Amino acid sequence: MTTAVDTRKPRVEVAPEVRAVHRRMLRRQKLSRALTYAIGIGLSLWVLVPILFIASMALTTPAVVRSYPKSVLPFIPLSTDTLEFFLGSRGILPGITNSIIVAVITLVLSTLIAAPAGYALSRYLFRGRDIFRLSILAVRAFPIVILSIPLAVVFLRFGVYDNVFSLALMHTALALPTAVLVIGSVFASIPYEFEEAAMVFGSTPFQAFRHVVLPLVLPGIAASAIFTFVLSWNEVFAATILTIQNRTLPAQVLITLQQSGDPYKFAGGFFMMIPALIFIFFIRRYLFNMWSQVSK
Amino acid sequence: MTNTKPARARRRFNWAPYLLILPSALYLTLFFAWPMGQALVMAVREEGVLLRLRGEAERGAPGVGQLPRGAQVEILDRQANLIPPDELGQPNLITEQWFHLEAQDAAGATLEGWAPERRIRVREFGEDGEPIGGTVRAVLAADADPLTAVHAEPSEGSEVVGHLETGTPVAIFDQATLEIWYLVRSAVDGQEVEGWVQSRYVRVFGEEAGARIEQGDSGRFTMLHLQRMVNDRFFWPAFRTTLLLVVLIVPAQFVLAIIMALVIQANLKGSSLFLYIFAIALGVSDVAVGIVWYSIFTQFGYLNSILQRLGLIDFPITYLSANTTHWIIIAIWLAELWRSTAIVMVIVVSGLQAISHEVLEAAEVFGANLWQRVRYVILPMLKPSLQVALILRTILALQVFAVVIVLGGGTVVTVLANETYRQYYTLRNVNLAAAYASFILILSLVASLFYLRVVRTQQEVTG
Repeated sequence: MTTAVDTRKPRVEVAPEVRAVHRRMLRRQKLSRALTYAIGIGLSLWVLVPILFIASMALTTPAVVRSYPKSVLPFIPLSTDTLEFFLGSRGILPGITNSIIVAVITLVLSTLIAAPAGYALSRYLFRGRDIFRLSILAVRAFPIVILSIPLAVVFLRFGVYDNVFSLALMHTALALPTAVLVIGSVFASIPYEFEEAAMVFGSTPFQAFRHVVLPLVLPGIAASAIFTFVLSWNEVFAATILTIQNRTLPAQVLITLQQSGDPYKFAGGFFMMIPALIFIFFIRRYLFNMWSQVSK
Repeated sequence: MTNTKPARARRRFNWAPYLLILPSALYLTLFFAWPMGQALVMAVREEGVLLRLRGEAERGAPGVGQLPRGAQVEILDRQANLIPPDELGQPNLITEQWFHLEAQDAAGATLEGWAPERRIRVREFGEDGEPIGGTVRAVLAADADPLTAVHAEPSEGSEVVGHLETGTPVAIFDQATLEIWYLVRSAVDGQEVEGWVQSRYVRVFGEEAGARIEQGDSGRFTMLHLQRMVNDRFFWPAFRTTLLLVVLIVPAQFVLAIIMALVIQANLKGSSLFLYIFAIALGVSDVAVGIVWYSIFTQFGYLNSILQRLGLIDFPITYLSANTTHWIIIAIWLAELWRSTAIVMVIVVSGLQAISHEVLEAAEVFGANLWQRVRYVILPMLKPSLQVALILRTILALQVFAVVIVLGGGTVVTVLANETYRQYYTLRNVNLAAAYASFILILSLVASLFYLRVVRTQQEVTG
């Protein structure tokens, strides 16, 4: 039925049946698009509404937090009283400081150790490369809960128990496998030809790395480092086992939770979320890069 | 997978990659492999139940037998020996103070050497309170040697350089702390053993006539911890709840994650915003997630507020109490679903991006509807990613901890990770904690192997 169609002419007479089919398809496409939007919005609400709840509880007065039934409309009245009460509670400010110290040490240590290994994985073919890669992958199949108990015993023996630095050592072990794989994938995404070209023009391998590769991989490595920071900031099991006096924020909140009132709990929950909300926004572009590599 | 191919291949043997991976390998061995093995060992070993007896009162002396903890022994002799200063802090030590002294013996010769404090009466103290002079005490026992021996080194086992009479003035210029060794005798299984032990391992009673072995210096294999774990009254509830949570959480979040991934993959306007929103939970701490869902399910929380405002209930319902454990489980389930679906979503999306668009378009052209495309095209091609996500998520679900504590308080509803923590922290039983941790490890390995076998990847099936 399309024998009369001349491809050079954009406008052709189309049989009404074809147009009907076309219209139906368009309608169906529109419908399915609308449906997809509806599902997407529904799922977004599933994620966002609980955050909104906790945020509106944290950013109001303790009296409102205790009131019942609670208003579903958030932030009435808007106030930082609850948050201030939480931050003023015993052990919270030291907890925040400890959490930041542990997370920063973890970030620096794991990036410094993982970067060379990631580079080696992406740039060299060497005997044992696959074994190394596989064992790094396999490490992630082991539960991390099991690490804390023996490490606690060892730290006690060496007198470094209840210490933010030894906790950071443990967190580095947790972050390292992912960091190696992610940084490896970041290096792998930079073609080796770039380095080669630089060396053709007379730079040493180190110069080629420093001036060509490094600027290109820095954002990816930064994303991996941020992810490491968030991982350490959130980690709570090892933190409760390995610290007693020098608790990190999640450990402190978890331990004191049962004896605390709702304002403390809600403000604490919201406060711990803030870094995640910010950092995930910054590294969202890299998430897939990271996980497509890691899940191979 | 093209970018995983190494770009540089060298013919000559190259040390560089090995040097580059060395730090990671060392670190993971030290802080990952070693503690993991250690935890398994701790779960099946009983430390300090056997005490080796030495042929001489010396650490390196050959063993002449061993005694179990709790054995009653007879003390035959004692001897003081120098120990490293860092061991002085240990509890249970019986120590003796020795003086480094100088004096004239009966013959008028100058003697320099060491003698125990109990034989010297200190009469002079230096400015810093340290003893600097004294006299030799009288020996009271009738049958004992009336002379006090001076040793070359601060140890009764060392050579005797001379003897001092009672009342001889001495100059003291140093002192040392020594630990007592006891020569003990006991019968085990009808056989008599005799040997030297350090005071730190025994509790002495009477006037050093007898003692009991308090602690050993070596361990042995035991099933005791595992037995106690299985007989622990929280073990089965914890095990059941953990398995129940895995079964509830993992399938539901895969369905949810695949729907999220399809929404993102539809390439609508604003799909990057969807992506950010869906990924938010990726970085939220589990304590915070527990609190978020606590704010919804607590008695004066959001769920009751909404129901009451809608007029569906007249007074708040209690969800999170010992009588309503099913509600606690539901709250934990929702919280975990909310938190950890994001990671599955990210893995599924990156898996979807690897599927070529031609394949999906072809399926669409041939008239496959959404369900058929998901069932026959997308899921089979996603298998490798799904396998990884399944392993990862199951292992994480087996370790669920903070959410359970926040929502359930840790006693009404308990899980294996919580029992590990409780045994370690509250009950101070390190071995039992290690047993629980090892149990989680074994469950994880079983789950991983199960997935590797059941969810075969494409290459394995065709190749």
